[in-house]
Amino acid sequence: MVDPLAVLNAVVAGVLLGGFYAAVALGIAIAFGMLDIPNLAHPAFVVVGAFATWLLNSHFGIDPVLAGFLMAPLFFLLGLALYRLYHICFERRGEASLQGLAFFFGVLFITEVGLVLSAGADYRSVSAPYIGASLSFAGMVLPGRMLVPFVVSIAMIGLLHRFLARSFTGRAILAVSQDQTALRLMGVSPIRIKTLAFGLANATASIAGALLIIVEPVEPSIGRDFIGRAFAVVVLGGMGSFYGMLLASLILGITESLVSDMWNPSWAPAIAFGFLLPTLAFRSGGLLGRKL
Amino acid sequence: MSSLSIRNLTAGYGRVRVLADLSMEVRGGETVALLGTNGNGKSTLMRCVMGLLKPAAGSITAEIDGRTHELAGAETEEIVGLGIAMVPEGRRLFPRLSVEENLTIGASRRVARRSLARNIDFCFETFPRLKERRSQLAGSMSGGEQQMLALARALMSEPRILLVDEPSVGLAPLMVRRTIEKIKELKEEKRLTVLMAEQNFHQALGIADRGYVIVQGRIVFTGNSTDELNDNELIKKLYMGL
Repeated sequence: MVDPLAVLNAVVAGVLLGGFYAAVALGIAIAFGMLDIPNLAHPAFVVVGAFATWLLNSHFGIDPVLAGFLMAPLFFLLGLALYRLYHICFERRGEASLQGLAFFFGVLFITEVGLVLSAGADYRSVSAPYIGASLSFAGMVLPGRMLVPFVVSIAMIGLLHRFLARSFTGRAILAVSQDQTALRLMGVSPIRIKTLAFGLANATASIAGALLIIVEPVEPSIGRDFIGRAFAVVVLGGMGSFYGMLLASLILGITESLVSDMWNPSWAPAIAFGFLLPTLAFRSGGLLGRKL
Repeated sequence: MSSLSIRNLTAGYGRVRVLADLSMEVRGGETVALLGTNGNGKSTLMRCVMGLLKPAAGSITAEIDGRTHELAGAETEEIVGLGIAMVPEGRRLFPRLSVEENLTIGASRRVARRSLARNIDFCFETFPRLKERRSQLAGSMSGGEQQMLALARALMSEPRILLVDEPSVGLAPLMVRRTIEKIKELKEEKRLTVLMAEQNFHQALGIADRGYVIVQGRIVFTGNSTDELNDNELIKKLYMGL
């Protein structure tokens, strides 16, 4: 007999996990979903964000979430530089697809090796008052190390969504992959918009990294666990749709959590993907994508 | 009033020369038709004016509110910033953005941002159909509606000079007439200077003050009035099948 409270707790844990996944996928939702840039290295930058958070937390006792936001401007600048490099080497010559993929794969490895050389291959963790604590509510247990990342992630996605929907720059980001010449005819430089958007995408890696190291201890290559999940939720949610990506993340998180709590953790990712993939058969544009 | 002057323009793609030593002008407040069939260089000329194609030689100057600007060599973004807008051939809307989002992006030019709300109201008044469909994706509308949206979107940047490239392509005859009439109406209301490329002679001449006929990248006939164009034997033979 299945205990309904255990099911409820697994669902709640899945929602929190899914919210965290969405924070990791957010940068890919911008770079890949809106700019058509296959940034495989994004999860590696999330791990860099996690190590930067660890550094600020262990040396100066700065709160991990605050540390993530403090590092975000630096990550933004790093994103600008990375996009420029990608643009000059590949995009400008129209060799963006396959060579670009190889480029970001290379960036992923370089980043990981750089992390191992500078910070070592050990697991690192941070301390904050909410990490050991938990909230109990009507029989449900909400651990702080999951609840805080969930709340920060939702707030970050909501804010960025608002920025894209309300500002001139935001709307240009939504339009840039649809017709660059038309965008120039509106007086907007597509390269400037893509540079800015890629910077924003990379800035989210700083915050997602802070959330990652709150959720679990981090070692340099841990980002690889998230590459498949992050790209999958972006595509399944619908390219260009933050809320679709969030919904897909939540479905992934809930399914993984239910399977691993009720049955077997080894099967969790496989079944979660098996659950999400058929959505593409019924909605080829993804869950909430804009489809003509 | 704003005007456009093209002097000895030569341009092409790679080794293929499309425009050869071409000169023409659009005086303040005029509607000038650039007439010619496909492949004679109408779009190439428009692309040069907008900075989408860098000319090999020649000059393109625009006089806007008393100031003269050289456009040859300038970036498209700067040219739009001066107050020149183009409705491109094939409309080139953002298909997966809504009607309203397309219009809003049209107002990205600095001076147009402040009057965004007023200009959107104006577009919705002028094209009630766009108001009805304001949250629909642009790519899901009919060709005629898309042409109206492309025209409205270009106006959102508050241009002084408007280029319209082949507004009749892909439209049913009734929609062609309506589109061209709208261009005339808007031109008068907004006091625009208009250069319109068309292969549909009858429709274009209905609203043009003057016209040029372009054949293989050269101006072969300058009609100083629509009558002159209508009566020209060359045009009758080449373009109207008479």
